[in-house]
This record gives sequence, structure tokens and C-alpha cells, in this order.
Amino acid sequence: MHSKVKHIVRMQDVVKTYRQGKVDVHAVNNVSLEIEQGDFAVLCGPSGSGKTSILNLIGGLDVPSSGQIWVDDVDLSTLDNTELSQVRKNRIGFVFQAYNLIPVMTAYENAEFVLNLQGVDEAECRERVMQTLRAVGLEGLEHRRPDEMSGGQQQRVAIARAIVTAPAIVLADEPTANVDSHTAESLLDLMQQLNREQGITFLFSTHDQHVMDRASRIIRVHDGKIDSDEVSH
Amino acid sequence: MNLNQLAWRNIWRRKRRTLITAFSIGFGVMLAVTFTGSGDYTYTNMIDTGASMGMGHVTVEPVGYHLKPTLDKRLTGTKDLRERIVGLDGVSDATVRITGQAMFASARKSVGGAFIAVDPAFETEANNLLVRSLVEGELFARRDGRGIVVGSRLAKKLQVKIGKKIVYTTTDATGEIVSNIARVTGIFTTGEDTIDGILALLPIASVQQTLSYAPDEATVIAVLIRDQRHAESMRDAISVLPEAGDASVLTWKKSQPDLAAVIAFDKAGNYISQFLVGLLIAVGILNTMLMSVLERTREFGVMMAVGMSPKVLFKLVMVESFWLTIVGLILGIIITAPWYYFLYYYGIDFSDAFGDDFSYGGVLVDPVFKARLFKESVVAILGTLFMLALLAGLYPAWRAGRVPPVESLKTI
Repeated sequence: MHSKVKHIVRMQDVVKTYRQGKVDVHAVNNVSLEIEQGDFAVLCGPSGSGKTSILNLIGGLDVPSSGQIWVDDVDLSTLDNTELSQVRKNRIGFVFQAYNLIPVMTAYENAEFVLNLQGVDEAECRERVMQTLRAVGLEGLEHRRPDEMSGGQQQRVAIARAIVTAPAIVLADEPTANVDSHTAESLLDLMQQLNREQGITFLFSTHDQHVMDRASRIIRVHDGKIDSDEVSH
Repeated sequence: MNLNQLAWRNIWRRKRRTLITAFSIGFGVMLAVTFTGSGDYTYTNMIDTGASMGMGHVTVEPVGYHLKPTLDKRLTGTKDLRERIVGLDGVSDATVRITGQAMFASARKSVGGAFIAVDPAFETEANNLLVRSLVEGELFARRDGRGIVVGSRLAKKLQVKIGKKIVYTTTDATGEIVSNIARVTGIFTTGEDTIDGILALLPIASVQQTLSYAPDEATVIAVLIRDQRHAESMRDAISVLPEAGDASVLTWKKSQPDLAAVIAFDKAGNYISQFLVGLLIAVGILNTMLMSVLERTREFGVMMAVGMSPKVLFKLVMVESFWLTIVGLILGIIITAPWYYFLYYYGIDFSDAFGDDFSYGGVLVDPVFKARLFKESVVAILGTLFMLALLAGLYPAWRAGRVPPVESLKTI
């Protein structure tokens, strides 16, 4: 008996073309891809291969030139900017290479930010934020601002911000690129734990072998196309 | 954290820039208070002075007298009408007068001029500039006496002093030439050459006899009100009094059109100055907010990436403009208060430059530069600056939400 697999992301014949001067550059070239619930998947490839462009398209930060993308069964191609921001707010978590925390907010407030946008009431906000900060190992640091934390701690706050809303998928663009190898390992431990214990789906872009070693699925991208898609054991 | 808290923290990221912008708003408040306050003070002063020169803030007169002031036109029942007017709320005084042209002759000279016939019982320093400006002698004691008070330049032309006789000749209600004799009891100097050179005060009962007027007949009731801004409503209130009959009721703007034109012209200049000041402030805020938005493009990209809609981002930047404006206005009130206090109580004395008898629009102007703000002016200043500042924040706010997040995230 087979249990039905839920596809969190579906890309079908997606093309993204940028105009550079007089030349059209195909950043994403006819990509079809499915990400399943619970995946801990990695998009890997050299710089300029199209990893970040694919993440941006899945995250609704960019729109495809052609093709269709579904996230959590929502067809992104039919949405306007406000509706796309709703999808990002409610279904997607982002972790960026440069942490990108709001500098005037504390760790707690950064994690709380998306819940505030969702209109979650204060008591529930507090409970969920504290629970998440505990989960990412930041208990006791909730009142610190980004400039009072190390790179690893900031990235943990970014992860907390990404998962606090219990999104359908977390998109992480080279999340370990700006931290040392020891911190990178602990961040990967954390995300793997969240994936295993809470069932959060992760999709990374990286060219870091350490990240690839942890992935349950490795999707290799080259010149905007998917070269290979392997399940790792 | 709500938008207000976030916006408040954001404006203090660059303290120096925020303070410079807030000071520019504050300086704008100070300039606006100075311009408007001096206008409110000076215009009120000019209007009140003009009113006390003869016609009042509101003038009740026979129909057509304003256009052709001949003595065949007259009001009747002035005693009853005056009593009703004085009883109206907002009226500080009302005086019955006869105004007209006359030829004044002394033993040595004859000079053309004008007279105001007044009841000495009702004329005081408060309601009559000429009484206030007496430099020699006094106002005639009796309304039926034979006294005359003349301007100092008129006295000089006629070569008369206190106690000397003057014959005045005018045209009566029937068009006949009539004369009477009066003895100089006082000399006034307003400082306004035209007034001092042509005008004389006469006792009303004596003039009524000379002109064959009944005892309650006159050409004008000059009404002084406590606040010149209510002249229009007072005109309307007097017009509907049964005692007013078909009399014409005019505000000072109609009875003193030259003064009204001068004030209107001056106000227009004042508004232009204030508009330019407001524009400078708005450009300052626009610059600050635009810089603040441009340097946070990536941050806005992140905010949009995690789910903030362009509309909420627009709102955030507008709230930042709001707080910046509030800080500026509060700073403005703090720096303007001592300046306004000084202008209110002391002012800047320009009498060395302009002299004590500086006149403008036919009325004397206080050579001390003072300021008095009406409540509505305070609201207008703060409201206008507030709106200007918010308007200046519109473009940066719109721009913030317009850049696609994927582009914003590429910026360093």
C-alpha cells in the first residue's frame, strides 16, 4: 500500500529570461521540478547556474517568463504582488546568506515579525516565538539586537523567523556561506533536526559539500537546467 | 512590534539626520509663527486703528452714503438703534456721528477739510483715535457747545491756537450753505499727515442744529467690536434689527476699501513667503525620507520577502514621515515658544528706522514689530506643516513598495 505523497512545490516547464544589454540570458531554462513534503533537498551547482533564480521563483520573489509554479497547491502565476506577499507570509520561510535581520529589532522581535504581519495575537505570538527561539538554541538571547550577536546566532534568528509560522517550505539561499565550518555544522544540525522532528520541508541552494552531505535529495543545476536529481542516503 | 514602534526606531537610526530634518521643520514653525503672528497683530492693529478713526469696524449709514457721502442722506432714530447695537454680544461700543466736508476759516486763513461731529459723552480714548491723540487742550465738554478740536497741521495752516475761533461752512440737508462758529478747545496729532491736516471734531448737537437735523438724526453709527474678525457676522446681526430699518450696514472692508486692499495685498505676500518656507521644509523631508528609503532597499526587500505587502511597506514609511514630522513640530514649539514670548510682550522696536508715526494704508502702524497668534492661525500653521511633511513622505513611501523584492535583495 502506498501513502499519497504531497508535493509542496511543483514547477512545470519554467523559463526565466533576463535581458542583459542586447542579449537574452536564460537563468532558468525549461525546469520541471517537484519538492515533496519532508524533503531536505539541495539545489547545487556553480555560481550563476540558476540556483538562486529557481529559489526566487519558488518563493514568489520573481515571476517566470513562462511555465507554471505551484506552492502548497497555489498557482503562483495567477497571483498579483499583494497575493504573492500573502503566500510568502503564510506558506514560505526564507533564510538568506547574509542573515538579513532587521537591525532595529531584537532577536525576539525579528522572529515575531512575520507573526505580526499575520495578525497573530500577542499571547500566541509570545508562546510561539519563545518556543521557536528555544528550538534554535537562542533562549536567553531574545533581547539582543543583531549587532550584539555572532553570525551563527544571527542565522539562528533568521531560521527562527523562517520556521515560526510553520510554513509549508523553508527556502534557504546558501545559509552557511557566511559562517565558519563549526557554526555551519551546528546550523545544519539544527535544520536537519527541525526537518526530522517537525517535518519542515527545506530547499537549499548551495555549493558547500557539507550541506550536500546532509541532504536527502541533491538536485544539480547547470546553465539554468537540472542536470540530475538524486535521492541521497 | 507594531508599525508605530518600528517606524519610531527607524527614524532614530540616523540621529543626526533626523535631528537636522526635525530642526528644519522646527525652524519652519518659527518662521511661520513669526510671519503669521506679526500679520495677525499688525492687521488687527491697523483695522482697530482704522475703526477708531471714525467709521468703526461696522458702519451703519443711510443707503448710498458710502458711495456719495452728502449730508442730505441721514439716519433717523439713532438713539434707539445705538442702544440696541450696544446691547449685542461682541459690541464694545457704538457712537453716533455726523461726518462731512467743510471749509474752515480763521481770522487769517481758509482751508478745506472734513469734520466728524461727535457726542463728547460717548467719545473716549478707547473708541476714538483723535481723542487719544490730543496733544493740547481737551475735548469739548458739551454736545451742544461751540468747541472744536482740530488736527495739528490744520491748526498750523489756519494759524490758530487753543481758544481761537474758527468758522466752519458746509452744505445742509437741503443743499443750503450754512456756517457756524466754534472755539478751539483741543489739538490732536495722530502722526498721519492727511488726518492731522484736514480733520476736526465738532459737538454733534451743535452740528445737528447747523444742518437742520433732528436731535436723533446723524449720518453714521460707528460700531466697535471686540474682535475684528467677527465684523461680517456683526454686520448681519445689525442688519436684521428692526431699528436699523433700511439703513445700510457695512464692514470696515467696505467703509475703508483702501485699508482692506492694503491688508489683502500684504497678506498675499505673506502667504507666498510662507508657501516658500513650507516648500523648503517639504524638500528637506523629501530628501531625508528618500535617502532613508534608498539606503534600506535591501531591508525592504527582506521585509517583502517574508510577507510584508507593498501596501504595508508604504504605510511604514508614511508612519516614519509622521513621526519625523511630530518630532519636528514638537521641536518647533520648544524653540518658538521663547521667541514668541519675546515678540508678544516686547517686540522689536523699529521706530528708529521708521519713526513713531509710520502709516500704511492710511492708518498708523505700530513701529514695534510684535506678534499675536489667533487660535485658528496656530491650527493652520501646525496643520499645514503637518500636511506638507506627510505629502513629502508620499513619494519615498510609494517608491519603497514599488521595487520588486528580487531586485531589492540584490542591492548591497
